[in-house]
Amino acid sequence: MLYDLRRADIRIKWLVTGLLATLGLSYVFGAVMVALYAGFTPQRVAATYAGPEMSMAMPPETTVVVQRPMAMADFAKPEVHTVDSALLIQDTHVHVPMYGLIAAALGVVVVGLSVSRRWALGLIVLLFAAPWLDFAGMWLTKFASPRFAIVTLAGGWAMGVAYLIVTALAIHQMWLSRERS
Amino acid sequence: MSFLIRATAIAALLHITPVVVLVKRPAAVQTLLPGADAYVAREVHLSATDAHRLHEGVDWSPEDGVLVFYGGTAGSTSVGALEFVRVDTPHGPIEVAVGFTPQGAVRGVVVTKATIEMKPWVLEAVAAGLTDYYRGLKPGGEAPRGAAGIASRAGNLATYVAGEVDKGVARALAAYGAFYNHVRA
Repeated sequence: MLYDLRRADIRIKWLVTGLLATLGLSYVFGAVMVALYAGFTPQRVAATYAGPEMSMAMPPETTVVVQRPMAMADFAKPEVHTVDSALLIQDTHVHVPMYGLIAAALGVVVVGLSVSRRWALGLIVLLFAAPWLDFAGMWLTKFASPRFAIVTLAGGWAMGVAYLIVTALAIHQMWLSRERS
Repeated sequence: MSFLIRATAIAALLHITPVVVLVKRPAAVQTLLPGADAYVAREVHLSATDAHRLHEGVDWSPEDGVLVFYGGTAGSTSVGALEFVRVDTPHGPIEVAVGFTPQGAVRGVVVTKATIEMKPWVLEAVAAGLTDYYRGLKPGGEAPRGAAGIASRAGNLATYVAGEVDKGVARALAAYGAFYNHVRA
């Protein structure tokens, strides 16, 4: 094959290694950010994206007031980070193009791997399906059912797994394989 | 390739940084409702008509159509009320706490949250005396002009974020004026 990472020029190998290392760093901090702002359980993801919009879709016919006493300790309770529709639109607009570029960059690495055509196609599909699942899950959680939080989790894990597979294969084939040159 | 580089740069520039707490809510409550020893949360669930009226007035719809005011009392005496108002900007959200005296004038304003990107702008604006410009404002009176007030002694970004704080204060004034005392629990 014309483009084979095992036999690629050393400059290409370092370029791919640098790309994978940098993406890996961003993925680690991405995971930390998810832990801080949304969480890794379906319940926490649902609380972040479904929010109270699920429970009160229609405004009352006349404005009503509900009063309840509060203690100072209530103000200190940790707030659940929520993402409303406006912020989700903004997040989708900002993140999806970046995810597309990352999937494309990793897809270019996949094309240079020595794997069967079927495996390569599977990896490319996984790379692009992951962000679709991620954001589809967020939108479905907000507007269909909190149960779809599991789709967002699946998307996030798929992103991580796809990255790890591509990175492991690329590093092995470029730097460790007997067939490298 | 140049398209990829440009697209990456644009995506990076547009990335919204996470929100950080600048002042914790209990601290803001103590500042804006000084001496209060009891609190009540007053949730105003707006009808479609009232929500529309508020939106027309200050270009704002509160989250889930619910305004939340926190009233404070010291013994049997009212200390005032406060509101936390979120303002969405192209750089992410900020949250502004606006406190009112029992007479309905602004007692003080505290910026409680901002994104990491906007935090230094907020700190610069506050250091330039931004919140002094809101004290004493009343619903239906003069519009908040903090940004104009600090423009001569703060940078462009601090002045920009002050304009967003102005919006938050304007929203709090409109909500307080129309709904705090005029809807019975």
